[in-house]
Amino acid sequence: MVNASAARRETQLKLKTSQEYRQAGFAWVGSLIVTLALLLSSYDWETQAIKPYVWVACCLYGAFTLLQVLLTLLIRRDIMVRGEIHGVTRALGYIQILSLVTGNVFLVTAAFQLIRKRKSPEYTLAVYTLLTQIAVIAVSAINLYKPYVADTFLTGMFILLAVAAFHLLVVVLTAKFVRRRQVPRRLVWVAYPLLLTSLTGNLFALALGIILLVRIRNRDNPAVAGWEDVLERLTRNTTAMLGLLFIAFLFSVSVCSYVTFDYGMAVDNNYSLILQPPSLAYPLGTDNFGRCLFTRIIFGARISLIVGVMSTVLPLLLGGTLGAISGYYGRYTDNIIMRALDVLYAIPGILLAIAIIAAFGANTVNLILALSVGAIPTYARTMRANVLQVSTYEFVDAARAFGSSNAAIIFKHIVPNSLAPMIVKSTLTIGGAVISTSSLSFLGLGIEPHIPEWGNILKLGSTYLETNSYLAIFPGLAIIALVLSFNFLGDGLRDALDPKME
Amino acid sequence: MKTRSTLALLLTLVLILSGCSVATKSNTASSTTEPASSEAPAGDNTATTAPVGIEVLGMSNNESDLNIVRDQLTKNGFNVKLNIQPDYASFKAQEDAGNYDVSMSSWTTVTGNPDYAVRSLFKTGGDYSIQSDPELDALIDKAATQTPEEYTQTYKELEQRLVFDEARIAPLYISLKSQAVNKEILKPDSVRLSKSRALAWEDIDFNDTAKRATQPLILAQAASNLTSLDPIKGNDGSINQLNTNMYVRLVNLTDDDKITSEASLSRNYSIADGNQDYYFILRDDINFAKIENKKAVDTGERVGGDDVVFSLERAKNKDSVPDHRTYSLHEHIKTAEVFTDLNALGSIQQAGGKGTVKEALEQGLEAPISELVADKKQANNKQGKYQVVKLTTTEPFPQVLNYLAHQSAGIVSKKQVESINTYDVAKFDVNKDIPYGDQNTVTEGDKYNNTLYASGPYILSYKNDYEGIFLKNPGYQKGTDNEAHINQVNVRFIADADSTLSALRSGEIYVYYGVPETKYEVVEGDSKLQLKSIPSNAVSYLLFNTKNRDIAGNLDLRKAVLYSINQDEILAFYKNNKLKAVSTVSPLVDTGNELKADPAKVKEFLGLYQASK
Repeated sequence: MVNASAARRETQLKLKTSQEYRQAGFAWVGSLIVTLALLLSSYDWETQAIKPYVWVACCLYGAFTLLQVLLTLLIRRDIMVRGEIHGVTRALGYIQILSLVTGNVFLVTAAFQLIRKRKSPEYTLAVYTLLTQIAVIAVSAINLYKPYVADTFLTGMFILLAVAAFHLLVVVLTAKFVRRRQVPRRLVWVAYPLLLTSLTGNLFALALGIILLVRIRNRDNPAVAGWEDVLERLTRNTTAMLGLLFIAFLFSVSVCSYVTFDYGMAVDNNYSLILQPPSLAYPLGTDNFGRCLFTRIIFGARISLIVGVMSTVLPLLLGGTLGAISGYYGRYTDNIIMRALDVLYAIPGILLAIAIIAAFGANTVNLILALSVGAIPTYARTMRANVLQVSTYEFVDAARAFGSSNAAIIFKHIVPNSLAPMIVKSTLTIGGAVISTSSLSFLGLGIEPHIPEWGNILKLGSTYLETNSYLAIFPGLAIIALVLSFNFLGDGLRDALDPKME
Repeated sequence: MKTRSTLALLLTLVLILSGCSVATKSNTASSTTEPASSEAPAGDNTATTAPVGIEVLGMSNNESDLNIVRDQLTKNGFNVKLNIQPDYASFKAQEDAGNYDVSMSSWTTVTGNPDYAVRSLFKTGGDYSIQSDPELDALIDKAATQTPEEYTQTYKELEQRLVFDEARIAPLYISLKSQAVNKEILKPDSVRLSKSRALAWEDIDFNDTAKRATQPLILAQAASNLTSLDPIKGNDGSINQLNTNMYVRLVNLTDDDKITSEASLSRNYSIADGNQDYYFILRDDINFAKIENKKAVDTGERVGGDDVVFSLERAKNKDSVPDHRTYSLHEHIKTAEVFTDLNALGSIQQAGGKGTVKEALEQGLEAPISELVADKKQANNKQGKYQVVKLTTTEPFPQVLNYLAHQSAGIVSKKQVESINTYDVAKFDVNKDIPYGDQNTVTEGDKYNNTLYASGPYILSYKNDYEGIFLKNPGYQKGTDNEAHINQVNVRFIADADSTLSALRSGEIYVYYGVPETKYEVVEGDSKLQLKSIPSNAVSYLLFNTKNRDIAGNLDLRKAVLYSINQDEILAFYKNNKLKAVSTVSPLVDTGNELKADPAKVKEFLGLYQASK
């Protein structure tokens, strides 16, 4: 009896510590949800008919999901029986990579994890770099169905494809040559081009390039820097990485849309195409002015992201500095700064934003300022609390004993050690900032109505909720996805930065 | 490894293959011959000249129209800056400050006659006019004295001058007027939809007539801030419908804008030969109502000739009240008097030579006229004792009757208004003096002191921010068809169109007056609602700045804007729930003019403009 429960606990522990098993489980659940969503939408309730395209997609998803369930069971058996995953099971992962064609990120990410026995964070990053690139290409390629494409479309697509091919090479090279914290020197020739490809907005490429370079530089230094653990924990967190994938994808597509998308489709009215339902040429339909909703959402990501990120970074810097000064010097400085910020804090953020926009007019810069000002006090408070704690540590006393200046102590020793909660807080509030932008646009106080921005698009769609619901559903989904992504990333960062999670 | 590379190869191949047949934007644009075709935004035909900056001012509830205008101007080589204001007050402030090149304006001719559609808007010194063109003034004055057959040509010339020659406005569209009725609760046919006149409440009836006494009729309007309940002190959406139902007029407009005595204070009217004298024979069955303890009571005071004369005299007199908003409508009234000479009446000929005025006034009366009385208390129609009011205009002006049908010509009580308006008009102090019809006197709270005397079928008992309560006038045409059916009318104040529609669909309100075009489908899809729509007199147009901008003195630039406007596209956007317009008289007079968009002309005029700089 005792033995049985002990054995069960042991297998439970084995399963729990197996990254592949956890990911495989996550993947089939995620994939099943998408399959069910497709199943529901494949049936047209009004005409009592099956929509062929959606049905085919649903079948494909269903088949891969089924495979994944089997694969998960296989992994489970392997672990329980042999204690490790069999090579054949790992090879099956290559089949699951095929689900890339259907755009199933859950299965693809799990499969890439499965096929490698030893995984370095670099490998994971390389895979996500490739996935981001492929997603951007796939989304841009939808333009092929349009009556016409932007003049720079073909050039842009070929460049993107070349970059994707290079990223594939990077995946292979990192899989082959990167061992645990050991990067061969010749990979410099990969790292620099990788940094160059991050010009397409691929944040993973940027991160991977920098990490490779740093690793190559420090290869003879046996000490393990703190960030390496953080990186490892973060890359193992699937939800956080998927959130980051969506953010990186949006960022990259915002950059690439300059060449692969036609801005005219998003802003020029076309009265012969008013309120068309989704079709191949207009994948998300057209709005009441005959503008392509898909193109509008793609271009809208730019403003939503810029405003979201900027209105988080500004208060992060301003509030952070004020909080650090206030926490370090204490007494009168603290009192003056914090009481002044309390005044600001007493005004509801969105009301303050509305007042600022009303007074200075609606444009992107004012929008960012309006949303930033209200958030300063919360950042200052968080920073101050951290600094109060950190400044009591010995290394601060040591620095002081060495005769460092106050500024040096604050910005060299205290701030870097108090940043973790700030980073987490900011990723969590970026989502809120995106929603605030959207709600201001929704109230008619944001950006000019014809300029694509997710809140604008949603506002327009909301008046057609009953007759053309897709006009509100798609921008709504986009906002939800972005906010969720930032929240997942924030959660993942918090876990990764938390020393107790070791 | 193999699968992946094959996959990549396959993807590349597909892209290369499809790339060969991909149409890019510029080669699509050059292959289509017509630059204005909707398929290809004509960005390149302006590539030769730098875009001309233009600022368009509008309100956020016209966002769609502004977007269409912006799009059309942009495609024709303008660089458009939108200035969108959230409400009318901020819009007006911007407009008054001259912060625009082009301002999105609209006009509704509530009187249903073409003179009103141009006089205050385009005549030098008109109350809404920023124009000053002697030629236009002459045409407006000429048309005013003409009969409908004659004035068509004059208004055609006026449109030619106003729109095509001078480009003082750029017309956009005529709106439809629509209303949705909950047909499960109300008799749909009892809810009238008229081209110009406001909704008449007295005709509305429940399907279940037993509800008349117990249930209120619930309507909605957007504005909760009522300008004034004195009919001459307001002419806007906040009070038009309310004052129309609170004050009876000498004549009314039918649903298609013909003059009628039906449901008005007069039993008949007649125009004397020369088109300058107008006679009205008054009813004796309307009493003023007042509010006591929030209940409507009959004052016992009859609405008579002296009240009519008093009301018209103060309507035309700019200085009769502070903030007189409607005197220009009545500037053609010279005198109004109670007419008592029965013999003379029998000898005056009607206009058009169809008999005497007396014959015209006697038509269909129960008892023929035996006596004309000066004192309203003496009138007794059954015994043949009548009151007749004679109105004289400053010049022959048949359209004056339309102005008399407007709510601003509503009849107020001489006795009551004189007893309330005791202040000196020249020294009126907003903080101290309380004029008749001030909304504060009917708003719940410590300032509540309802002094209204209503001559119409309903009287406002009280209001708050949420609704206004109207009660039936117990002394209004009792026992006739015109007596109000329903005892109480609640007007809900709902600012937002979407909320109003929701309220209608949930059964909270019974009639939605003025459904937006984009909501027609929703209303038609709801089985308990009935949608009615007819062309209205509301015209939307772009007004050019005449003061401090480049565009004021530059005809070429104005014409370039004018010919950029494509009304077909606007109609397409509204699914043909709008009509084409040329000027504000378009809904009233068919002049045969039409504005056609012409990108070639735009290019030419823009070229001229840039050459002149």
